[in-house]
Amino acid sequence: MSIMQYNGGSTIAMVGKDCVAIACDLRLGNQALGISSNFEKIFAMTERTYIGLPGLATDVTTLHEQLRYRLNMYTIKEERTMEPETFIHLVSSTLYEKRWGPYFIEPVLAGLQRMPGGSFRPFIASTDLIGCINFAKDFVVAGTASEKLFGVAEGLWEPDLAPEDLFETISQTLLNAVDRDAYSGWGAVVYVITEDKVIKRTLKGRMD
Amino acid sequence: MDHFPTNWGRPRNELYDQYNTFPLHQRPTNHTDTFTDGVQRTQQPIVTGTSVLAIQYKDGVMMAADNLASYGSLARFRDITRLHAVGTSTIVGASGDMSDFQYLQRVLDEIVTDEFTAGDGNSLGPAEVHEFLARRMYARRSKMNPLWNALLVGGIQNGKRFLAFVDLLGTTYSASSLATGYGAHIALPILRQDVDPNPDAITEEAAREILRKCMRVLYYRDARSLDKYQIATVTSAGVSISEAQKLDTNWDFAEKIRGYGSQTQ
Amino acid sequence: MPDGSYERPQQRQFNPYSENGGTILAIAGADFSVIAGDTRQSEGYSIQTRYAPKVFRLTERAVLAVNGFAADGNMFVKKVKQRLEWYRHAHAKDMPLRAIARLIQTMLYAQRFFPYYVYNILGGIEEDGTGAVYSFDPVGSYEREACRAAGAAQSLVQPFLDNQIYFKNQTPAPGASHPTHLPLPDVLSIVIDSFTSATERHIEVGDGLEIYVVLAKGRSTQELASIGGLQELSTRAEGDRMFVIRRDLKKD
Repeated sequence: MSIMQYNGGSTIAMVGKDCVAIACDLRLGNQALGISSNFEKIFAMTERTYIGLPGLATDVTTLHEQLRYRLNMYTIKEERTMEPETFIHLVSSTLYEKRWGPYFIEPVLAGLQRMPGGSFRPFIASTDLIGCINFAKDFVVAGTASEKLFGVAEGLWEPDLAPEDLFETISQTLLNAVDRDAYSGWGAVVYVITEDKVIKRTLKGRMD
Repeated sequence: MDHFPTNWGRPRNELYDQYNTFPLHQRPTNHTDTFTDGVQRTQQPIVTGTSVLAIQYKDGVMMAADNLASYGSLARFRDITRLHAVGTSTIVGASGDMSDFQYLQRVLDEIVTDEFTAGDGNSLGPAEVHEFLARRMYARRSKMNPLWNALLVGGIQNGKRFLAFVDLLGTTYSASSLATGYGAHIALPILRQDVDPNPDAITEEAAREILRKCMRVLYYRDARSLDKYQIATVTSAGVSISEAQKLDTNWDFAEKIRGYGSQTQ
Repeated sequence: MPDGSYERPQQRQFNPYSENGGTILAIAGADFSVIAGDTRQSEGYSIQTRYAPKVFRLTERAVLAVNGFAADGNMFVKKVKQRLEWYRHAHAKDMPLRAIARLIQTMLYAQRFFPYYVYNILGGIEEDGTGAVYSFDPVGSYEREACRAAGAAQSLVQPFLDNQIYFKNQTPAPGASHPTHLPLPDVLSIVIDSFTSATERHIEVGDGLEIYVVLAKGRSTQELASIGGLQELSTRAEGDRMFVIRRDLKKD
């Protein structure tokens, strides 16, 4: 059993029309044994940038704190918030620093990128555990249910979904994928990020 | 209670492994067969032939293989024929263990003779030969005593082209272009590019040229290959296996290679 | 050892199995059954052929899809067909679907200690005229289901089917309920979507798609009229009808 599957958990992010969504399950396990049904893997980094950190639970906390520290240093020095496209490069270089002793995390990022005109562009990306960035136009997945997430997302996702439709799509994708994964599930959290608000919803899921 | 059926009826040793902690297949056995160690099985190929290539073209099927049988990295036999005609409409090409292939040649010749002796006017076509080989290969792998080959079977039957593959596992498939061994990695992409769009548009001379080109590419890159090869054709006129022919090669490019070997600058 | 010799003779065990990729899928309707499979056969990163069928017609009303080790799969289908022929000679009729299912379980379990490395899905029409799908593991455990995916992309397709066929995680509108069986056109769309999705994300899936459709006796063929690449396989117009739909999948 790989260390990547030790605690279980999965994350997904999707692009919609002028919005993005990111969702994760709530399980924390010790191999097959469920420990907690309240372990959130998604963290707000800025007002419009959210990151999901599925993988080894101890590294979820460490990496989150590490990223928060570096983001704060950037904010203080630059006196501006970091954009998601910049942030994913920060994530990437933070992970690559530990190339030969990595954090066992495969981050998933969703955010709205502020454009020169002041408008916002949906942005998602993911990386592997050593920071190789995947800039996808549709959806990104990670975690123990990643194969299942790929399958369902490929079937359900379509371009230009409005926020509520995107919420339904990402929720159905996550729920049905984690129900076929022994190491993910036990409830879910979904964030839908639009220009003027972020909606967080906690979903009930199968508890088996 | 011993729950392992394989241990039932054997003398028991109450002191040894009382809790069945041994894996099933490693449990101690009192049974000894003096001759077990004497049975020889092909656990690895010894004298081997490399790739075989084959394509379908306008008039039938064309197959190519070089004349080398290697003993590890030693180019041991440089005049071995790896293409074998079976009856009047089938060709079999072999890579892998040459002794296993020569055994198969004998078996195939025997069934062709048997079929002829029956005198009922029936003869074996490529489909039958391939089915026979597939069954034999699968049967031998199921006995854990495989015939260590990858074979191509080509021919013409009822005016239709036939080309198929079978290997030591009994795996079979067919396509308009096939290759075994390194050929499947190096030559097959070239063959598919040339042949797959329309095999009917390929004349005999064009087919010969395609195979020659691929044999040359293989000779450049496959260290277990030879520049001496044969080409077999099956058309409605019958089977013919060419004399061994030499590949014309050009090694001028080697002068320009830098960065490994003796030329590091 | 220091002198270059081995302490014990080296032993390399011959591995009698291989995996040849691909994916199969079957969905049962109220009075029809759909059984599908892609046609790519691969070993490792090499595509052996772009057309090697994995779905086979057994009788007028039974179709078997096999996936896993191709040599075992082909041999298994051959032996099942042989047993069905013997049954025809003995009983002057085709073996019913549930009996074929039990036959397959027996044949698989007979090889319990040297299994056929094959996942089987049997689809067709039951004697009572209902559509049925039976799925098996390599040693014969089986059950009747409404839908099943197996093979290389099982983990991609099965959760999608849970959602679209069983309506898992979907709550019906107040007072309404989910249908127990979907209409044929919906099923065909789901099958095609499943395979295009699997082709997109799995390297061992692609090239071609064969969809077998078995319709119960007396059922209208209307819904198939507009389908491209359709071919009828049934020999008699009365009785159960069987069709195959052949489509291209991406070849990369």
